[in-house]
Amino acid sequence: MEEREGGFRKETVERLLRLHFRDGRTRVNGDALLLMAELLKVFVREAAARAARQAQAEDLEKVDIEHVEKVLPQLLLDF
Amino acid sequence: GSEAAGGEQRELLIQRLRAAVHYTTGALAQDVAEDKGVLFSKQTVAAISEITFRQAENFARDLEMFARHAKRSTITSEDVKLLARRSNSLLKYITQKSDELASSNMEQKEKKKKKSSAAKGRKTEENETPVTESEDSNMA
Repeated sequence: MEEREGGFRKETVERLLRLHFRDGRTRVNGDALLLMAELLKVFVREAAARAARQAQAEDLEKVDIEHVEKVLPQLLLDF
Repeated sequence: GSEAAGGEQRELLIQRLRAAVHYTTGALAQDVAEDKGVLFSKQTVAAISEITFRQAENFARDLEMFARHAKRSTITSEDVKLLARRSNSLLKYITQKSDELASSNMEQKEKKKKKSSAAKGRKTEENETPVTESEDSNMA
């Protein structure tokens, strides 16, 4: 699986996760890193898409913070 | 002393990671904007980026615990699948990606095996190479 356009770099994901590990021995294997890059990408796209749909439901073309706020609870529950 | 320096280092790292996440969030939001014919305000992109950054912390801690629960210190695909358990479609998607990775890994291993057994010439090892040899002679 190559890195695609507009995705998270493997290195970024690795550092991002390692930042929060509590045990110094914890590592992430290559496949898991690639999967996490996918997961984060899906997360961002979902957040954006849901906020967009919310704005559109309100007949708006511009997506603003309040649209994100409205979709955030369900988003977090789904992840 | 060194602890203060460590704290600064960490802060710098956090800033860089935030920036990296923000950049990618912007790119992905742009894709979605084009798909749906909307515009995202700058604050919206920043908010999604921040939420993602925070969510990554939860992910990291969960993953670490899953691995530890399985008595491992290395996080694997299985742990990521567990992370994706709350939504059926998400789990399906991640499992699919995981399977794609696994089969491309196997292909790589097969290639390496064939190369190394060819390089070794007739000297074969007990279990695995006979399979390759019979494939060669089958010509199917």
